[in-house]
Amino acid sequence: MAVSGTVNRETFKVSTPSDHEIRLTRVFDAPRDLVFEAMSRPEHIRRWWGRLGEGYSVPVCEVDLRVGGKWRFVNRTAEGEEVAFYGVYREIAPPDRMVFTEIFEQFPDVESVVTSLLTEENGKTRLTATVRYPTPQVRDMVLKSGMEHGAAISYDRLEEVAAELRVAG
Amino acid sequence: MTPDTLSTTFAALADPTRRAILASLASGERSVTTLAEPFDMSLPAVSKHLRVLERAGLIVRGREAQWRPCRLEAAPLKEVADWTERYRAIWEGRFDRLDAYLHELKTKTKKERSHGRKRHRK
Repeated sequence: MAVSGTVNRETFKVSTPSDHEIRLTRVFDAPRDLVFEAMSRPEHIRRWWGRLGEGYSVPVCEVDLRVGGKWRFVNRTAEGEEVAFYGVYREIAPPDRMVFTEIFEQFPDVESVVTSLLTEENGKTRLTATVRYPTPQVRDMVLKSGMEHGAAISYDRLEEVAAELRVAG
Repeated sequence: MTPDTLSTTFAALADPTRRAILASLASGERSVTTLAEPFDMSLPAVSKHLRVLERAGLIVRGREAQWRPCRLEAAPLKEVADWTERYRAIWEGRFDRLDAYLHELKTKTKKERSHGRKRHRK
């Protein structure tokens, strides 16, 4: 069996198309409609969204999948602390495009807009997620926090989580 | 500090002079004159930066002493650190997990098809 979670990891790229945005791209070894489904249905979302493993879970995953519909996901830590994110769907065009707003509930004045584009490439699917932040300062802060922690290290750690999921699945 | 001030904090931190002022205040209280020394800048210009920092709640200026010393206020900085840390935690690894999960889904779908029935597992 192929070792998923590692096969396409080197396709992950981060770029900055403008001073307000961060663009993340990643190739997945699955057809586009399956990727779209995994990104839009709660029973799937709670299996990969947020932080998982080590006692972390997603106890709340509400999706009102229509334009203007609200979504709200909660990530719970092992200690029971909850971190909630919510937003509104602006565009839903399966299987290739989805746009929604994203707000960290604790800090409601920072709203980002996430545009996800799915394109098929040789039977695989490329996800291009462009996140637009309210100001370049917020964007820089997000970028800086990622760099400081070293994306490579965190991705290695999360690979273990993915491996656990595979075994558990 | 209310949540709505996070954007104000981000904006205040965006300027290199203001970040340098905060760094210098990290080691203790300072007067405006002392804070202005390392910069090639007039006192009013430095005062303007201080007002931005004060509005963002990043510094507090003494009312009683005549030299009105500036003091660092750590709470808003912690808010910014919390926000970025949690935000990062939510995003990081998202794609690796999605990839692993898609692999699982694909395998499941194939099995269901070949066995001609649903709920093959679980």
